[in-house]
Amino acid sequence: MITYGHWGHIGGSFSMAEMLATLYFHTLQIDPARPDWKERDRLVLSKAHGSPALYAALALRGYYPVEKLYGYCELGGFEGHTDMTRTPGLESSGGPLGMGLSVALGMALGLYRLENPRARVFCILGDGELNEGNVWEAVMAAAHYQADNLIAVVDYNKVMAKGFVRDLMGIEPLVEKWQAFGWDVIEVDGHDLEALAEAFYRARWVQPRGKPIVVIAHTVKGRGVEMAEFNYKWHTHAPEPDTADQMLRELARRYGKPEEGYSRLAEDVKKETFYGGE
Amino acid sequence: MAENNNRPGEPALEMQPLEMRPLEMRDAFGQALVELGTLYPQMLVLDADLHTSSKAQYFKKAFPDRFIQVGIAEQNLFGISAGLALTGFIPFPSTFAVFATRRALDQIAISICYPRLNVKIPGSYVGLPTSRAGTSHNCIEDIAVMRALPNMRVADPGDNADLRAIMHTAIQTEGPVYFRIPRATLPDLFGPDHRFEWGKGVVLRKGGDVSLFSTGMMTCLCLEAAKLLEEEAVQAEVVHLASIKPIDRDLIVDSVRRTGCAVTAENATVVGGFGAAVCEVLGEMYPVPVLRIGVQDRWAESGGTGELFTFHKMQPADIAAAARAAIQGKSLREKVYPTPPVELSS
Repeated sequence: MITYGHWGHIGGSFSMAEMLATLYFHTLQIDPARPDWKERDRLVLSKAHGSPALYAALALRGYYPVEKLYGYCELGGFEGHTDMTRTPGLESSGGPLGMGLSVALGMALGLYRLENPRARVFCILGDGELNEGNVWEAVMAAAHYQADNLIAVVDYNKVMAKGFVRDLMGIEPLVEKWQAFGWDVIEVDGHDLEALAEAFYRARWVQPRGKPIVVIAHTVKGRGVEMAEFNYKWHTHAPEPDTADQMLRELARRYGKPEEGYSRLAEDVKKETFYGGE
Repeated sequence: MAENNNRPGEPALEMQPLEMRPLEMRDAFGQALVELGTLYPQMLVLDADLHTSSKAQYFKKAFPDRFIQVGIAEQNLFGISAGLALTGFIPFPSTFAVFATRRALDQIAISICYPRLNVKIPGSYVGLPTSRAGTSHNCIEDIAVMRALPNMRVADPGDNADLRAIMHTAIQTEGPVYFRIPRATLPDLFGPDHRFEWGKGVVLRKGGDVSLFSTGMMTCLCLEAAKLLEEEAVQAEVVHLASIKPIDRDLIVDSVRRTGCAVTAENATVVGGFGAAVCEVLGEMYPVPVLRIGVQDRWAESGGTGELFTFHKMQPADIAAAARAAIQGKSLREKVYPTPPVELSS
């Protein structure tokens, strides 16, 4: 998708792939046939540059055909950062970091007011994003309102756009920070599907007790492709078709899938879908 | 007089005398919030520790369960409002205009305006009359900033009835709205039955020599300026444009077709604001000489309201002087461009 779109964030998309898979295929109480279902869970992607991963998850979950993904970053297609008016299944629009948790908190407060105790609001934050002051305004307020229907998920992949978090602006001690603000904290390996499923299940169904909950998921930026792992140079970078081919084959090998590689056939599909054939 | 924060001996706003018990506009705002709250159960008011100043406290008293205090955290104020709008509520995140449009601009733009959410933003303490808090609290660039955002509508009321009408229309309008509430006490221009419509201006006084386009609290000063001009046999047309975006293009062009020149007046900076919006219309459709009354690309300062209006040359005498200059510009212009402006087919 990122190669077709000539733009996108690989590192931060790969680090939350398991997270999104677990949420969309296990935890979230949603129904793609009823996107306006009032009781549905909501997911706000505060690190909206991870949109490629989210768009893929929504397509696979059945919100729209996979062909739509070829329109990523194309005029008239899906936006580079999330635009809820263009992409079915999105619950908010975003881009600038630090803003999503406030929006998610507003949703959580709204759901309480609607006497809708079943629905939950998930919000995925990046780790570098925690440098933003707006995040901590929301963290403070969520505890104040005892918003236990709000679940923050930190994609703690240790790397920001231009280097390691610990070098650019450290966020440790992270667990203690959230606890001091009055949140329940669950730490988990963000690439272990079973562990994620259990953590999200606990946050979703077991934990609520008057405190908002944060799942700190330890992840690897660019997970799955050797050249991108923990490498800030792959934060925003669209691979050339040959590199994309190599990456896709490596991913397939690592996860035991049939090797397909980068499909030039798909380029034709994209042309037909978005340019009406040339 | 005590109104508009002037101390004895200081210059006052040179406007029509107020009634015996005038209502401050922020009180009218608080009362209108309560009125709307009764009509719209999905309406909520959010506050960032300023409700006794903005007078959102009226709503808090009437509907304590529908009043949300977020503390001194304006970015969170607008983020939460976006989330509440996404669950079907109509939030009014209330704070001083400076904190809304400077501190939380990104949240307003991306969380609210971009997805066109139903959030109504009252900007309190706009322009010069902000007690004596000074530059940091005098919001002069909010019109320019807010009107640059796609999907946003912007309005500046001329009196209490106008404010109430704007709030009624705003809540019936889908999408984000920004409206201004100066901390001022203004003479009544409109009756209680006044209605506000987006993109519609009102001619308050007919005249053929110069058009005075004004928005917000400058309209009452333009009416005084028109009286001054009448003493010199100059007939000024006063056009009140509370709806700044969308703006009444037809009315603006129609007026200058008859008068041939214009003065704009706003309780804000002239850079990118209301005067600029009028000039955009005239520049595209019917170029005539225009002078802009407002803060002239500088910071406002601490001071009494009348004193500041005098300092920034925004009193009726200044508007009248600008009108005379515009009329003079008209004859100069005719010498430079002897043919009349081209009639537009529309």
